[in-house]
Amino acid sequence: MATADPADAVFAALSDGTRRSLYATLGERGEATATDLARELPVSRQAVQKHLGTLAAAGLVATRRSGREVLYRPTPAPMSEALAWMAEVGGQWDDRLAALERQLARRRSVSA
Amino acid sequence: MDELVERELTVPEKPDEVWRSLTEPEWLGEDATIDLREAGEVRAGDRAGFVEEVDIPRRLVFWWSAPDEEATRVELELDETNAGTHIRVTESRPLAILDGRDLAIEFGAWGGGAGGTGPVASAGGVLAGARR
Repeated sequence: MATADPADAVFAALSDGTRRSLYATLGERGEATATDLARELPVSRQAVQKHLGTLAAAGLVATRRSGREVLYRPTPAPMSEALAWMAEVGGQWDDRLAALERQLARRRSVSA
Repeated sequence: MDELVERELTVPEKPDEVWRSLTEPEWLGEDATIDLREAGEVRAGDRAGFVEEVDIPRRLVFWWSAPDEEATRVELELDETNAGTHIRVTESRPLAILDGRDLAIEFGAWGGGAGGTGPVASAGGVLAGARR
């Protein structure tokens, strides 16, 4: 399914906590290889590569080849600041509500 | 444009039960606390803020901010349904046009046992003015 709205792809790409920290780490470093990023995050290089692919498809990262390496850098261009805020905060609430659901489920199993 | 994020969740518990979990907010992060009364303190990780409105077990509104970030307003609404409770959360930043940094600093400054309600009242005053 092709989504016409680039914002949908951005939201989907940033709905994942690992991808958000990946994107944030990339933002701090400016430019990095998948291997660099895997070293800083508790994720395998393969997983980093896959997440970078998703971020790239949403237009959030761009790549550049340097010798035998592929360097990734963030491209904030597709996001207005407001859109970025909404994606970030939306992702946080997804996580928090999931945690609330788990907390309730734990109580349920204790009282059962 | 009003910057707003909205999320919804339905759980099988009754609102009373969900409310009890809201008051023990480990889901907001380890050591998170919400003092459930008007102007009560909210703490979650590096975020700090205060409660604007409490209506047990239906509605909780609070403001919070992380260091160097502008204050945002969070509304949690619980509705009893046949399936249990429908939870709706909205977070907005009505202060986006203002410089929220002073507020963030102010939020970060309280707690820590000083026990002064002054900063709460003054932050509340600023916010009340800004919301009009």
